[in-house]
Amino acid sequence: MDELQVVEFVATYLKKKGFSEAENALQAEIQRNKSSNNTNPIDILNDPELSKFFRTFSESEDGPARYQDEYSKLRSWTYSSLDLYKHELLHVLYPVFIHCFMDLVAKGHIQEARTFFNNFREDHEMMHLRDLQKLEGVLSPSHLEEMEFAHSLRHSKVNIKICQVLYLFLFTSLHQNTYIVKKSNHCQSFYQYSYELLLQYLHKTQSTKMLGIINERINFQVSPGQPSSISDDAEIVTLIGSNQDAANQINQKEVHWGLLEDSLENRLEKTGLISDSEKAEGENKEAEIDENKKRPVEGGKQGASIKKLKKDKAINATAKTSRLEANTVSTAPRVKPDLALPVMPTEVEQSILEDLRNRVHLSSAALPSVSFYTFINTHNGLNCASISQDGSLVAGGFSDSSLKVWDMAKLGQQAVSSGLQGENDTTPREDIIGPNGRKRSYTLYQGHSGPVYSASFSPLGDFILSSSADTTIRLWSTKLNANLVCYKGHNYPVWDVQFNPQGHYFASSSHDRTARIWSMDRIQPLRIMAGHLSDVDCVRWHINCNYIATGSSDKTVRLWDVSSGECVRIFIGHRSMILSLAMSPDGRYMASGDEDGTIMMWDLASGRCVTPLMGHTSCVWTLAYSCEGSLLASGSADCTVKLWDVTTSTKVLKTEEKSGTNRLRSLKTLPTKSTPVYSLQFSRRNLLFAAGALSKTS
Amino acid sequence: MSIVPKETVEVIAQSIGISHFSTDAALALAPDVEYRIREIMQEAIKCMRHSRRTTLTTDDVDEALKLRNVEPVYGFASGGPLRFRRAIGYRDLFYLDDKDVEFKEVIEAPLPRAPLDTSIVCHWLAIEGVQPVIPENAPVQGLKMGYLAGYNFLWQNSYTGGLECNVVCGRLAIAAPSNGTNNEQKDGLPVEIKLPVKHILSRELQLYFDKITELAVSRSDSVLFKQALVSLATDSGLHPLVPYFTYFVADEVSRGLNNYSLLFALMRVVWNLLQNPHIQIEPYLHQLMPSVVTCLVAKRLGNRLADNHWELRDFTAKLVAAICKRYGHVYNTLQTRLTKTLLNALLDPKRALTQHYGAVQGLAALGPNVVRLLLLPNLGPYLSLLEPEMLLEKQKNEVKRHEAWRVYGALLQAAGQCIYDRLKIFPPLSSLPACSVWKTNGIVATLSNKRKTSMDLEEQPPLKKIATDGPVDAVSTSSMPTPMEEDAAAATPLDNSDADHPSSSSGQIPPDSGSESRSKRGKGDSQAQKLSAILPQIWKDDLNSGKLLVSLFELFGEGILSFIPAPEMSLFL
Repeated sequence: MDELQVVEFVATYLKKKGFSEAENALQAEIQRNKSSNNTNPIDILNDPELSKFFRTFSESEDGPARYQDEYSKLRSWTYSSLDLYKHELLHVLYPVFIHCFMDLVAKGHIQEARTFFNNFREDHEMMHLRDLQKLEGVLSPSHLEEMEFAHSLRHSKVNIKICQVLYLFLFTSLHQNTYIVKKSNHCQSFYQYSYELLLQYLHKTQSTKMLGIINERINFQVSPGQPSSISDDAEIVTLIGSNQDAANQINQKEVHWGLLEDSLENRLEKTGLISDSEKAEGENKEAEIDENKKRPVEGGKQGASIKKLKKDKAINATAKTSRLEANTVSTAPRVKPDLALPVMPTEVEQSILEDLRNRVHLSSAALPSVSFYTFINTHNGLNCASISQDGSLVAGGFSDSSLKVWDMAKLGQQAVSSGLQGENDTTPREDIIGPNGRKRSYTLYQGHSGPVYSASFSPLGDFILSSSADTTIRLWSTKLNANLVCYKGHNYPVWDVQFNPQGHYFASSSHDRTARIWSMDRIQPLRIMAGHLSDVDCVRWHINCNYIATGSSDKTVRLWDVSSGECVRIFIGHRSMILSLAMSPDGRYMASGDEDGTIMMWDLASGRCVTPLMGHTSCVWTLAYSCEGSLLASGSADCTVKLWDVTTSTKVLKTEEKSGTNRLRSLKTLPTKSTPVYSLQFSRRNLLFAAGALSKTS
Repeated sequence: MSIVPKETVEVIAQSIGISHFSTDAALALAPDVEYRIREIMQEAIKCMRHSRRTTLTTDDVDEALKLRNVEPVYGFASGGPLRFRRAIGYRDLFYLDDKDVEFKEVIEAPLPRAPLDTSIVCHWLAIEGVQPVIPENAPVQGLKMGYLAGYNFLWQNSYTGGLECNVVCGRLAIAAPSNGTNNEQKDGLPVEIKLPVKHILSRELQLYFDKITELAVSRSDSVLFKQALVSLATDSGLHPLVPYFTYFVADEVSRGLNNYSLLFALMRVVWNLLQNPHIQIEPYLHQLMPSVVTCLVAKRLGNRLADNHWELRDFTAKLVAAICKRYGHVYNTLQTRLTKTLLNALLDPKRALTQHYGAVQGLAALGPNVVRLLLLPNLGPYLSLLEPEMLLEKQKNEVKRHEAWRVYGALLQAAGQCIYDRLKIFPPLSSLPACSVWKTNGIVATLSNKRKTSMDLEEQPPLKKIATDGPVDAVSTSSMPTPMEEDAAAATPLDNSDADHPSSSSGQIPPDSGSESRSKRGKGDSQAQKLSAILPQIWKDDLNSGKLLVSLFELFGEGILSFIPAPEMSLFL
């Protein structure tokens, strides 16, 4: 058929039917085609006018049964398609499915919507179970408006990558099952094809609903060539939430993931010196920083840490004379802190220095020792556990609003003394577990008026923060055993609170969908990070204190710039709510664990998932990197601590293009005795502490 | 169209006093009710997750309601899981079991024990990546239920009442090598631990166990029992039953020594359990072994003459060998203890010949090495004791004589197996080509004139044998100085007491066989000379096995020849 003829035919048809807008669009399109042959053909389909036209056309013969009919046709066609194309086509199926359902609901065909949903629900349960559970409850048009999830779905387009061949196939099939793409020529210019498509459409209106939905809701990114492999699934899975484009844009921003130039190890060297030299050499320091920055980033991590340790000694010996920081070989670039960070007392520095010197080097061959703190007799009331940096203090937040802190050193002493003084003391056991509350084995902090959901020790262990369902965060002093401050700001339960690695500042996350940055000396938050579409469930500081990461029920992890309060990264890929986060000590990676037991490791710079770590069968409550970043420990509700080798993954990343299939290794699974693992903490010497509440397995 | 039917809405409307409630309103409300419920449950699940739980409780729902500024539902404490009951006559209707409580009972009831206060116990989950095997840690593997059972037992012992048991945790003295930041803080303290101690056997397994035991006891010859044995050998889910089977076997063996078929069935049960690759039977071996060994060396197995207890002993010997082979490396004392028991049984002349037989079979089944090291040195003295029992003239009791011949046969077989094994690994002879065999054979035939030299050579072996046997004898006699004399003394009274049995009818067979063997021996003598002529050749390569063979030949005559491998046999002939 002559092309011009066809255009004319279409134009007249549109005129006759009174589709002036569509006609205009068509005209515009023809104009454009004439001007250049390379126009992106998808525009035709994405043209809002045109899609509206499709919609109006389809609505002209409205019938809820058609949705079911056409969807099942599309589905059977998809399932019978070639294996090569199937998985891409299946991605198309899901948005079509949910939009069909929502359209039905919006039009008030509740009953049909429900049967439709139930009929095809199983297809998508594996990939989108949580979403389906949410959508299942939508039963009236008003719900669609009310429910944020559905609302956002209906007002945004879904991006789906699809290869060109498939695109042709898809539309062909939508129009006419008997239509055969002759030779399916890759080079066939697309606009040309779309005319054919339109023509077919005008001739045969078989699957108008589907076509309408696909045009309106789905944004195809047609890529030439063969269908991509399954590895690209990540983006497609979470097609809700924020606008994909926006996310991509955000992820373009620069992230200075480097270590703090003043970071723990470096800091020890420097602050030691600075305190000695009375800060008179502030400018000098600045200069050094610059030097450090310029220094090329080279050298293996091991070498670096060893050298550092060696240097630590050297510096200790000859404090001022050995001003050799300029030589510091670092794996990561250094960045300045955006916050004014507190200065550590020198005694503390000394002890930390000592720890660093005695650090055990962990690797896949040298696994850590794990000390496990088991909470017993919690009566299902333990909501969270937290272990101080050196493992000497253990805090538990309870659903009866209390916060209890155990001093492990005293615990041992008491046990000993009670054993020794058995004759003198009439009731030695009462001392420890006495009903009077005076001589409990723990310190009880009372003040909250709702379940305590999170607790966090300050780096030095002298303060504890606790967050509660009563929307407040409280600061407690472990020295005074008293509540110091109550921070009010959140409007809903505060799920998580986390001290800055340097202390003084802390971040909190809440049901009110915000994360907030606070400092200990102010009762108002310094920053409010808003943007998550659902509860912010967990929060962690980046190692250089310039960023915080938040995990949310909207299945995304976001990275926020603390100084500007902007979101700088969105990590999409999880399939359920995010429960735990951990930052690698080199500042480059982040791990996040979700409700399904999946752990994902992200590269902060690129915003991409390095690799998912599969293995846990239930919620991953906690994650921790070892101090040199070679191991990742994860604790889960399936009563195991798993150790993962993450050094291999970094290697994989470097050679990603060559051999991308190499997955992270699970090194070891350490099962506990029916004790879900709530908290993990590596000490500075790389001893791993774990805590959990013994739960009855009835 | 929602999950909530409109009737429910109507019922609720009635219950809050709305009398005129249109159906349309109910229909419109029902989907909204469902939506709201889902919404609340979604929030409740969030609360559950943040409470680090995987089971939803009423507290979570209350929290979720509070989040929505809704008054929580009172009266549902989440002490334990709510028990729903199915309403009779309805398929999908459930209700909470809400019992009437007597005021009086509540008032008069003693105060419940105060719940124990929360505390922390500390232990090493892993030391440098390796989990120490301590009660606080989960058993190393799910499969290794033996440990678990052990711990359960341990905990049950320390179970003091109620759900809490007081366990004083020993101080963890293990120091983590090289990273002991807080070692001094790792001390345990007396604590109350609530531990799951129930070892529940599913109903199916109980039924299975009952069925198998019943079959073993009463109908061990049925086809069904054979199928049961196959199931025992292959079923993967039987591990929880292993302790029960062990107990069952031990119990039945101790009670039913007179019941031959039962014993055999039990041994087959053990055998099949051993075959099962999904079962780790080793923690129970110490319970099983005594009963198994009993079936091997008991004086009497079965109470009827028709009971072929020899077969049972043979089977048990195989069983014992299989156990040793499989678990010998795990329990290195297993085999030594076993062989000691068997050897004691064998070398004790006071024991019955049936016991001797069992011991010999047991040793033989453990392999030629055991036979060579333990049995052969004692062979000479033992045979000298056995000899009179076998002869018609000295042992009048036919049953006794039969037993003696049985023991003799077993010994012969054991020794033969041993020598066969030796000769088989004997490289030059086994690799000897057939032609050369014939050649040497020819040489032997022609070298009749050289027989004198060979006779000379034949002189040597006995000398050497005496040299070697001397110490052995000395050892054996020193180790058991009295038994020999005692046996001779004890044998006769026993014989006399047992000689009452008439031996006229079948008494002819043993003497016949005896005379036959003697005549064979006579015939074999000429061959024996040839044989011993070649023996020096063997010594050149392996003095030991040569000696062995000669000594065996001395003891058994040519009966041993049937165990010599074929090429050698042809050589000898």
